[in-house]
Amino acid sequence: MAWPVAAQSQEATKRYHILWFSTQSLPDPFLDGFREGMRARGYVEGKNLTFELHYAPGDPAGLRQAISELRRGNIDLAVSSGPATRAMTEVTEVPVLFALSGDPVELGIVKSLGQPGGNFTGSTFLSLELAGKRVELLKDIFPKLRRLAVLSNTNHPGEQSEWRATREACRELEITPVYVPFAGPREVEAALGAAANARADALLVFPDATTMVHRSRIAQFAIDQHLPSMFGWSEYCEAGGLASYGANQRATYFSLAAYADRILRGERPADLPVVQPTKFEFVVNLRTARLLGIELDESSVLFRTNRVIE
Amino acid sequence: MTRARRPLFVKYFVTMFAAVAVPLMLGAMSEAWFAYRDQWRYLNEVLQVEARSTASRMQTFIDGISDQLGWVVQSPWTANEDDRRRIDALRLLQQVPAVVSVNLIDQAGIERVFVSRMRLNRIGRGIDMSEDPAVIGARAGGVWYGPVQYRHDSEPYMRIAVAGKRPVAGIVIADINLKLIRDVIAAIRIGDTGHAFIIDDSGRLIAHPDISLVLRGNAASGDFEGLKAAVSAANGSAVVTTGDDGKPVVALAVRASNVGWTVIAQQPIFEAFESIRWALWRSLALIAIGAVVACTLAYWLAHRMSGPIKHLETGVERIGMGHFDHRIAIHSGDELEQLAARFNEMAEELGISQQKSERITRLKQFLAPQVAELIETSNQRLLDEQRDVVAIFGDLRGFTACSVRAAPDSIMALLREYYEAVGAVTTRHRATLIRFAGDGVMVLVNAPVACENPAQLGVRLAIDMQAAVQALVANWRARGYAIGFGIGAAIGPATVGTVGYEGRLDYTAIGNVVNLASRLCDAADDAQILLDPVMARQVNDDFALTRLAKRAFKGFDDAMDIFAVAHSPVAMRDVAAPLQPATTKCRRVAGPGAIAQRIPCLEQSGA
Repeated sequence: MAWPVAAQSQEATKRYHILWFSTQSLPDPFLDGFREGMRARGYVEGKNLTFELHYAPGDPAGLRQAISELRRGNIDLAVSSGPATRAMTEVTEVPVLFALSGDPVELGIVKSLGQPGGNFTGSTFLSLELAGKRVELLKDIFPKLRRLAVLSNTNHPGEQSEWRATREACRELEITPVYVPFAGPREVEAALGAAANARADALLVFPDATTMVHRSRIAQFAIDQHLPSMFGWSEYCEAGGLASYGANQRATYFSLAAYADRILRGERPADLPVVQPTKFEFVVNLRTARLLGIELDESSVLFRTNRVIE
Repeated sequence: MTRARRPLFVKYFVTMFAAVAVPLMLGAMSEAWFAYRDQWRYLNEVLQVEARSTASRMQTFIDGISDQLGWVVQSPWTANEDDRRRIDALRLLQQVPAVVSVNLIDQAGIERVFVSRMRLNRIGRGIDMSEDPAVIGARAGGVWYGPVQYRHDSEPYMRIAVAGKRPVAGIVIADINLKLIRDVIAAIRIGDTGHAFIIDDSGRLIAHPDISLVLRGNAASGDFEGLKAAVSAANGSAVVTTGDDGKPVVALAVRASNVGWTVIAQQPIFEAFESIRWALWRSLALIAIGAVVACTLAYWLAHRMSGPIKHLETGVERIGMGHFDHRIAIHSGDELEQLAARFNEMAEELGISQQKSERITRLKQFLAPQVAELIETSNQRLLDEQRDVVAIFGDLRGFTACSVRAAPDSIMALLREYYEAVGAVTTRHRATLIRFAGDGVMVLVNAPVACENPAQLGVRLAIDMQAAVQALVANWRARGYAIGFGIGAAIGPATVGTVGYEGRLDYTAIGNVVNLASRLCDAADDAQILLDPVMARQVNDDFALTRLAKRAFKGFDDAMDIFAVAHSPVAMRDVAAPLQPATTKCRRVAGPGAIAQRIPCLEQSGA
């Protein structure tokens, strides 16, 4: 029975080096999800795994210096969270795992979802497809919705597509969208000021690293302005947002660890299809709803939620 | 002589080894075969159970969706109830995670409600879907299953349409994300690494524990088409083929009737036959141990058999080479030990007989060869007996006078020549040399070894002896010794036998004939052979005799005729062929009072 011991000792001696790239900032719930996933697969940080974290909050270009270090050769895997991927399209030396709201095919890092064919693979959240759905759900919650402020970080890749999808949904639902763009974290406050002046009935916030980082501030802003708010991820809702609809980010990063494990064991990213979320969470914060004075019709909305925050 | 020991050893060894090893191997082989057959049956059953279980789970999954869909087409369409229907459809989405979107179609085939997890919902009269294959299919069969399609070339989707019991209830069409079937089959484990997966009729992978294989979309289909063809051809029983990971597997296919998909359960062949592989190794180990034991046993037994035989062979060889004191020591307690004992007895007998012949050789140095021979061969004392013998006495003339004058060395050399000559003649005629006494010699004929016509033999011996000694005499005289040689011979009855005491026995003859011969010898001149009348009469026809004047001898009452043997050519011829003329005169051997003896001259025995 020497084999398992040998295998163990081999695993113990091999220490994998993973670089983490993110346009968010610490604390990073996505990193936590990924770390949890790695732990669940038997990786122990400091023993057979080391993370090297690179953050450039809201600014993918800020990662270029760190990304160029990937060429130094002792990196087993790079994980890019969200827009950071945009800065990494030129990387060919190491396998790259991504978790993207946009379309990786459009971004040019994979040939197709079924067969990535290169050194990139990971998850896509299909945020684009859900953009319209969020407007619809917001209208279901707040049927009087006529004018919608749309808060969008123009630094976010695919932001224009998302805005386009949102516009189309608004037209069908007879809502007037008010575009409130901003570029990077420094413009958040200004953007909120603009939104406050938009005379909107409700607020839609595109899911993105910057709005994620400032989610509490934005949620509080919405409550203060008496604006029913809609977000992309449940984390916003937990921070006080009225509702959110989208894939569970933490679960996605947790399952991304499965691919990390397979790649570390020698599988090629080219053969690992890009994963799409199966489950979309509809989360409603009833506390916020009460603060806003919104009566949620039990029969038409609440039965559709996956989670209710009370 | 060929060495036959190895072959015997090999024969024994091979036979005994085969006797142990062959049944062992046959046993192990048949056990392995039966184990293999049982394992195959067991595998067949296990795979069948797992495949059926997977198929039934999958069918339950699909049927469950169909049943849920049935809920929304229970009542007929009426005006102004689209919103209620929308709620129904949304509840359906909530209830069945696999359903991505729902179309509600009224009896006219017009879409009335569309709800989706991803796209915007639609309410109210929409597009005409009456020509949609789903609508046609559901109307025809109640439930319609669409083909599997990979959305974004990756995720497997299919449409299911269910028609209400009455046409007025309309039709529901649902888009199903088949990724969720994975949850149904992922838990199925056959052994440690065996699993089940689902493919459709065109070889498209629908569900697999490794979801990434499914997500490869159409690209992976080719890999599974061959496997499906191979396994389906076996018609529900397990086959060995190349599995989805390119390694050899045991696989079995079961077809799910409702959707027309095939469930394949497979287990790596390495794992499937692990238990019998261990059994096989066990059997091989047993065979190996058995072979070693058989080998040892066979070697030991063969050695035990051939060892003593080899021992016997070398022993016999040694005995054959004259080592009669060699004894073969075998203590096997069987026939071989007996055989060795027999050989030992034989060697002992051979030793005794050799000792006897050595004793004879030694005796011959002191006794007349015939006497020595008789003593040994009869193995008893020579019986004293009365018989006719020829006594021959020879004596050197003038020797005493010479011996006084000459040096002792010369005398002894002279005597040695003389004895040698006399001894040679006596041996040649198979007579018995009784004794040398200084320059005199006594020879007996017809005792103890009887012979035919002793008188004739006696005369011939005397002639030869005279001739031999005379040859010496001439030589001696040339050296200045005035020596001559005379012989007297007589025939008559005498008592022959051994005289003396224990440890020192002599064979001798006693009787008048001995005395007479001695007297005749005394009377004979140099180169003369004198015979008594009896003897002369017996050889008268064969030899030329000269009658001499009557003479009286001491110890004999009357004077008697004495005869001298003339130096005749007959005598000379007889030296060359001493026995030739003797045969015709046999009947004249016996004289008055003699024991009638017709026995021919004894051949020397023990040759």
